[in-house]
Amino acid sequence: MEFLMMLVILVVVVAIAVWLYIAKQGDAEFEFIVGQRTDFILDDVTEKTATFSCKVPFINKGSQGGTIMDAYPRHLLPYEQYDGVEVSSRMELSTAPRTDNYFEAVIIPQGTGGTVVITVKFTAKEGGIQEALGQMAELTVDMAIDIVYQIVARSLWYIHKKRMVMTCDEIMRAMQTKGAAQLEDL
Amino acid sequence: MSELALKPVRTRILTDKDNIVDIIVKYAQHDVGPDDVVTVAESVVAITQGRITRPEDLKVSFLARILCRFIPQEGSLSSCYGMQSAMDTEGQWRIFFAMIIGMLAKIVGKNGVFYQMAGGQTALVDDVTGTMPPFDKCLVYGPHDPNGVAEEIKRRLGCYGAAVADVNDLKRAAVLGVSAGLDAKELAHILIDNPFGNASQRTPIVIIKNYAKAEEVAKGQA
Repeated sequence: MEFLMMLVILVVVVAIAVWLYIAKQGDAEFEFIVGQRTDFILDDVTEKTATFSCKVPFINKGSQGGTIMDAYPRHLLPYEQYDGVEVSSRMELSTAPRTDNYFEAVIIPQGTGGTVVITVKFTAKEGGIQEALGQMAELTVDMAIDIVYQIVARSLWYIHKKRMVMTCDEIMRAMQTKGAAQLEDL
Repeated sequence: MSELALKPVRTRILTDKDNIVDIIVKYAQHDVGPDDVVTVAESVVAITQGRITRPEDLKVSFLARILCRFIPQEGSLSSCYGMQSAMDTEGQWRIFFAMIIGMLAKIVGKNGVFYQMAGGQTALVDDVTGTMPPFDKCLVYGPHDPNGVAEEIKRRLGCYGAAVADVNDLKRAAVLGVSAGLDAKELAHILIDNPFGNASQRTPIVIIKNYAKAEEVAKGQA
């Protein structure tokens, strides 16, 4: 009986020790810092399309390294809100630009981070893009973009979302600054 | 001419729809002579054998979630998915007891016991990001029957020999399988500078030119 009791106590002590070890070890913890993102700038404009991009920093603020397995932007512009444009978006690491909308899995050691570039392309459904985006601004339509990312680290994989908002004012500002010369040529 | 020379061979991305021997014949045959040894990267052999899985497809046990915590985070088994894939190939209790004994051995200053006891596949699992897209989101197991693959390559190409190798940029080279008569350690030494390059270079085949003649000369000098 005493032996059994000792065995149970030993198992409980080992379990607590392992639990404490794991708790102290911690895990990766990622954050996309949308509050520190750059303004969207106009990369390219044609009669029918306008392409904008911005940079968003991220950090692994956890105590373990982790892998961003996949990440993509999910733009949210339902036709009930505004039906004048079609939207496409993509995301890539600033250090590994790609054109295929594929996010290559990347290991991020603890305490480090990086920057992603989010590119959003608007295509006017009818008429020119300038009028379409102008109308969007008149209706004060802002577009939410969820950064969706899948993490694999010590524990089970998970998918998180972080929301940012691309405002119509920001779109207009970008159109008016860098794109002014290009727009005049159209 | 009897000097050794390493010739990497570029291929397209290979998948489980490919046969590795057919691919080597297609991309390398015209460069391979009777004195040459053909080597191929183990992860690519494994991929063509379909020995890959996604973390999302693995059912992770409680034991895998605990044991992965005791692997340094640089190791492929440090995620519960890497640990589970090792358990699926070598058996969870074998891994468990190897871990216990490995820990005890470490206390008395002996490293590497876990990998010695846990089975050959344990050290060969590549965690996610271990290979190039589209397999960067997959775990890749070690290849099946690397000796048999090497023999088949030698038979089809009529070369001096063939080998399946695991080499990386950290100056670590291991030859997992060889055709009869080849010295795995010597081949590993020749491949130590990782002529396969990184994954994005897409050169999973390396021809060791003039191997037989160089070996003959070396034996003559000895």
